Amino acid sequence: MSDFAGMEDLLQDFLQEANDLLSDVDNKLVDLEKMPDDRSLLNDIFRGFHTVKGGAGFLNATELVTLCHLTENLFDKLRNAELHLTPELMDLIMAATKGVRDMFGDLSSGVQPMPAPAELLHALEAVLKGEAVAGVVAAPTVEAAPVVVEAAAPVAAAAGGPDWEALHGAVNGQPPVATGEVITRAEAAAAVPAEKPTNAAFGRRGSDRPTGGGGRRVEERARENTIRVDTSRLDQVLNLSGEIGLTKNRLTSLRADILAGKNDGETLHALDQAVSQLDLLVSDLQNSVMKTRMQPIGRLFQKYPRIARDLARQLGKDVELVLAGEETEVDKTMIEDLADPLIHLIRNAVDHGVEATAERAAAGKSSKSLVRLEARQEGDHIVLIVADDGRGMSAERIRAKAVEKGLISEEEANTLDDRQSFNLILLPGFSTKTEISDVSGRGVGMDVVKTNIQKLNGSIDIRSEPGKGSVFLISLPLTLAILPVLLVLLGDQPFALPLSLVREILPIERDKIQEVGGKSTLVVRGEILPVVSLARLLGWPQERYPEYGVLMQTAERSFILGVDSFAGRDDAVIKSLEDFRPRGVAGVTTLSNGQIVLILDMKELLVDGQHMDIGGRIPALDMG
Amino acid sequence: MPVDPKMKILVVDDFSTMRRIVRNLLKELGYTNVDEAEDGAIALQKLNGGGFEFVVTDWNMPNMDGLTLLQTVRSTPSLKYLPVLMITAEAKKENIIAAAQAGASGYIVKPFTSATLAEKLTKIFEKMGQA
Repeated sequence: MSDFAGMEDLLQDFLQEANDLLSDVDNKLVDLEKMPDDRSLLNDIFRGFHTVKGGAGFLNATELVTLCHLTENLFDKLRNAELHLTPELMDLIMAATKGVRDMFGDLSSGVQPMPAPAELLHALEAVLKGEAVAGVVAAPTVEAAPVVVEAAAPVAAAAGGPDWEALHGAVNGQPPVATGEVITRAEAAAAVPAEKPTNAAFGRRGSDRPTGGGGRRVEERARENTIRVDTSRLDQVLNLSGEIGLTKNRLTSLRADILAGKNDGETLHALDQAVSQLDLLVSDLQNSVMKTRMQPIGRLFQKYPRIARDLARQLGKDVELVLAGEETEVDKTMIEDLADPLIHLIRNAVDHGVEATAERAAAGKSSKSLVRLEARQEGDHIVLIVADDGRGMSAERIRAKAVEKGLISEEEANTLDDRQSFNLILLPGFSTKTEISDVSGRGVGMDVVKTNIQKLNGSIDIRSEPGKGSVFLISLPLTLAILPVLLVLLGDQPFALPLSLVREILPIERDKIQEVGGKSTLVVRGEILPVVSLARLLGWPQERYPEYGVLMQTAERSFILGVDSFAGRDDAVIKSLEDFRPRGVAGVTTLSNGQIVLILDMKELLVDGQHMDIGGRIPALDMG
Repeated sequence: MPVDPKMKILVVDDFSTMRRIVRNLLKELGYTNVDEAEDGAIALQKLNGGGFEFVVTDWNMPNMDGLTLLQTVRSTPSLKYLPVLMITAEAKKENIIAAAQAGASGYIVKPFTSATLAEKLTKIFEKMGQA
């Protein structure tokens, strides 16, 4: 049962906003290390904790309020120069920030946070107390004109509960005209908030609505299913919907005319115009709706400088993570699925990519290493880059390692160029670092990065230069809703293949097909690739020999898919087959002529093919 | 004091969750004509646009904080008499003094219930009625 029955929505809002706020604080803390006296940074961080505290109060999250309150006070002293930032203090602040984040974790599982670790609270209190004595002397108490303070101070000091009317009068010189003064004595005297927080403090009673299911499940579902959209984008959708309505009316009236036998040039011209307009509006609407799913990737990026910093400190390295292109917009679901791969690449860059300070000095490099995380849109693709200026990789060593680990054979290794060699590190079970660090790299992870990226119909490429550094390039489609496909034909029947898997198209010459171990193969530039017939994979009769091969590359392997012909490429709007999804079919799309085309899921098809032990093999001779 | 549901209220806070909380509390009291602003500067723009009869503002905000907003409102002839209720997380004496000096109509400490809010509003309206 959730501790937040009846206020899940509000809790959700709070967590989303507070998490963003805390990520922002995290980044500002990293900046603060460089500029410890920057007042505006200190102010912003202060406000971050202050705001979280305010919201937490309404959630009755008293432990969160306490922790934020102490941290906020610490920043109050920092910004008033009553305290100065030392590395030890910074560590304490980081610990407090982590404490706050942990509590967000509790809240998101629907439970009230446990108190922060006692030593953390004690340390915070000690720092505050240690300075408080000196602070009282130095601290200005009232922010107002000096004359006014002098006049008001005796009144305020005279009694625990000052006469507010009198004070107000003294300050303004006359009683307020229309604005009544309702500050009460109880509040003025109170050093603590007047109302003890109760459930009712939330402004919504627990009984307001039924609480179905456990809080945790509600939270998780809500986290996945909510999205924040700029209202101007929604307005645009609304606007376009309205315009489409108007155009539809125009068409309705034209239809009536035409059905009544009116088919003069003017009417047909009007029809043509209305249809063209509808065309334009609908594609605009599609774009606008798609845009509501787009979020700046900066919201994801902002978590990383802190992670990089912590890791670098742990490893005794000096690393700065530089962000670029944070405003680049990416489909929301993709942002979520990119979080883990990016963390892994960044960890990898900090841990394995960049050298220790001493090694850099010996190589004549600057002691500080730069890791760059960049996003940009290139045509209909989003490109993400994680680059480091570290020691780079040696293609030679990677090949040797892969052979040693038994991931590839010696012969295979010899056929690989540098670029292909770098990609070997994405194979499961690969790790060139002899000693295993507890940070990243146990040979697991890089293959997961690749799998995750491919799930998003993306690809990953690695470039590296020994001594200069490595670059990981991730290329992703703009959205998952629209899939660029290659349309292939079996007889007259078109099928759509995800274009991201297609490497090239080649003619299949029958006399070049070789039977290896009972399987048809074709040698393409020294690479032996299995040839798989699409007809066979689909369980269709093989009516004629496939004329063309599509060289496809999935996470696990490369192969050639035999097809009859091509019908071009298209941007497919994927319609999912929710309740009826045959294996091997990712969805359907409609061509411009209204024909329905199946979008194939190659991975599933191949697994099925193997399972049925037909392997999609093309018998070499038994067909004409 | 009967609630005038038509009364146009501006809720100012940089934390949208908080705006929503205040909005919900106001709704519970029967006030439904509520607009929002995320800092003092935006609030001032909206207020200058006219039509607002009440302001509920947070104190600590970027760009323009609640106190500056209050001071600006009091020094603007057209907004001078607009009732302003300050919301803050602190019950610090110096904060309350500063709010009073700047001409706040009321002061409320987070977290609060709709009952507390109702009480504050009633007091402010009573004062206005007397003036």
